[in-house]
Amino acid sequence: MTEAAQPTLAAGGESVGRASGWSRFAEGSGPGYLFLTPWLIGLFCFTLGPIVYSFYLSFTRFDLLTAPDWVGLENYRRILTEDPKFLASMRVTFLYVLFSVPLKLAFALAVAMLLNKGIKGLTLYRALFYLPSLLGASVAIAILWRAIFSADGLINQLLWSLFGINGPSWITNPKYALWTLVALGVWQFGSPMIIFLAGLRQIPQDMYEAASLDGASAWRQFWKITLPLLTPIVFFNVIIQTIEAFKSFTPAFIISGGLGGPVNSTLFYALYLYQEAFSFFRMGYASALAWILLVIISVFTAISFLSSRYWVHYDD
Amino acid sequence: MTIDARPKPGSLEAEQAERRPLWRSLLIHAALIAMCFVMIYPLLWMVSASVRPQDEIFSSASLIPSAIDWGAYWRGWNGLRVSFGTFFLNSFVIAALAVIGNVLACSLTAFAFARLEFFGKRFWFAIMLVTLMLPYQVTLIPQYVLFLKLGWVDTILPLVVPKFLAADAFFIFLMVQFFRGIPRELDEAAMMDGCSAWRIYWKIMLPLSTPVLATAAVFTFIWTWDDFFGPLIYLNDMRQYTVMLGLRTFTDSTGESDFGGLFAMSVASLVPIFLLFLVFQRLLIEGIATTGIKR
Repeated sequence: MTEAAQPTLAAGGESVGRASGWSRFAEGSGPGYLFLTPWLIGLFCFTLGPIVYSFYLSFTRFDLLTAPDWVGLENYRRILTEDPKFLASMRVTFLYVLFSVPLKLAFALAVAMLLNKGIKGLTLYRALFYLPSLLGASVAIAILWRAIFSADGLINQLLWSLFGINGPSWITNPKYALWTLVALGVWQFGSPMIIFLAGLRQIPQDMYEAASLDGASAWRQFWKITLPLLTPIVFFNVIIQTIEAFKSFTPAFIISGGLGGPVNSTLFYALYLYQEAFSFFRMGYASALAWILLVIISVFTAISFLSSRYWVHYDD
Repeated sequence: MTIDARPKPGSLEAEQAERRPLWRSLLIHAALIAMCFVMIYPLLWMVSASVRPQDEIFSSASLIPSAIDWGAYWRGWNGLRVSFGTFFLNSFVIAALAVIGNVLACSLTAFAFARLEFFGKRFWFAIMLVTLMLPYQVTLIPQYVLFLKLGWVDTILPLVVPKFLAADAFFIFLMVQFFRGIPRELDEAAMMDGCSAWRIYWKIMLPLSTPVLATAAVFTFIWTWDDFFGPLIYLNDMRQYTVMLGLRTFTDSTGESDFGGLFAMSVASLVPIFLLFLVFQRLLIEGIATTGIKR
């Protein structure tokens, strides 16, 4: 294997053979690290450095003005044992994740299956269903949502004129406020729908042909063919959407005017963390909150991956 | 890597569609149209609310205003101490810089991962993948402290500089996937001719990668345009505000009284995204389908 026959951009790297790490580094890695430089600077300044510093801050009291004051595990102790707002925000966030993610994915899959039936105008339908996903992160949509679900908003107008029902003020009622946000999340089912659609198109049609010949009903075909073959994509969507849902901030901020009200019913975890950090300048406490969030997301991801071999179908 | 929308003539799907009785096709279309209508109704209602007479906004669920009145756009545009013109300009500048930064820095990084051999490549690649999953809250406060120390708070630098250092790992991943699909023979031939890695990147990879660069550019623009959290934290002076911050301030100050103006500015803020959607719809949808972009 001479270099002339097998050129690589890292010329020289292979000819050194069993050289030590450092000399290999010196010989062939130059261009690679040159191209990597901007990212490496960013990685150390904006990610790795901050992670270490954030971990340290989580054991301190820090208000930005004076130097961080070491308090040991005090922040964590207070969060976990005597912080009602933490509990409220956990409850709100878990309810949101638990309802918005499955509902969103169920809608996404159902619509994707309708669109996968070889119908005309698929491109147009797909674009229209996707539009809310693309616009949904905007403050403008949160404003729209607040107006739609207000006491005299669109929803109550429709309830009144169609069914004669006098609807409540959804946004200002602690019983309903969170559900308007769940609805907003589900409304944005477009992007998982597109991913499902791409997955559905990979399933060989002759599997369905064969199943039909054997007399399997559409219902049975869904459970025995579609869903099992789609589990890798379900898995992917569940992970991505759950992490996104845990981090959700803007809609709750706009709809509750930044307060997470009424009665903390929309106090999303990310919103609570923001308040602690940037309204009360309890930076140490907020750092501890961030680390707890990281632990929760990591545990969730780990469980998903560990459990995946029992329910995710991979090609043999 | 294209996802062709229409079933090809003679394909199984086309046959399936032909065999289906007409009434079933109609039923599917009726269901889809009804769902689309429900989905899009709120958006249409907002557009209609922005041009209807103020007293009609909360008294009618219909989409057709009794009269067209563009006054809300004028009121909204000048509804705050600083005009929305400034906010739009600020948003455009930040989004444009973010696009340039992301496309340049992420493609450089992706090129290294996809094409160059160097010590520790697998390690760095794994780190890059891990940063994809990291919730931003964990780095948020130290970053804020850093930018505060640098004197960058109240400037657009915290929103722009990280893009030039490829902080959006997602786009690196997207580009690595695409670069790997480009035939290696091309750059190997160029290398035999004595091309440097830089020239291969600049003269071969980038020109061949316009689809993925465009996808990254459009998504970066939209996400930066929509970003609320970053500007909320880093921009305090109203003359620096982005459109999203302007909207939020509008809801706090006059929102309860001037819904027309608020809706008008909300609609205006969505126009750039909507135009990008119209032009690049196919690119966006393919980008999501092939990589699983989150929204």
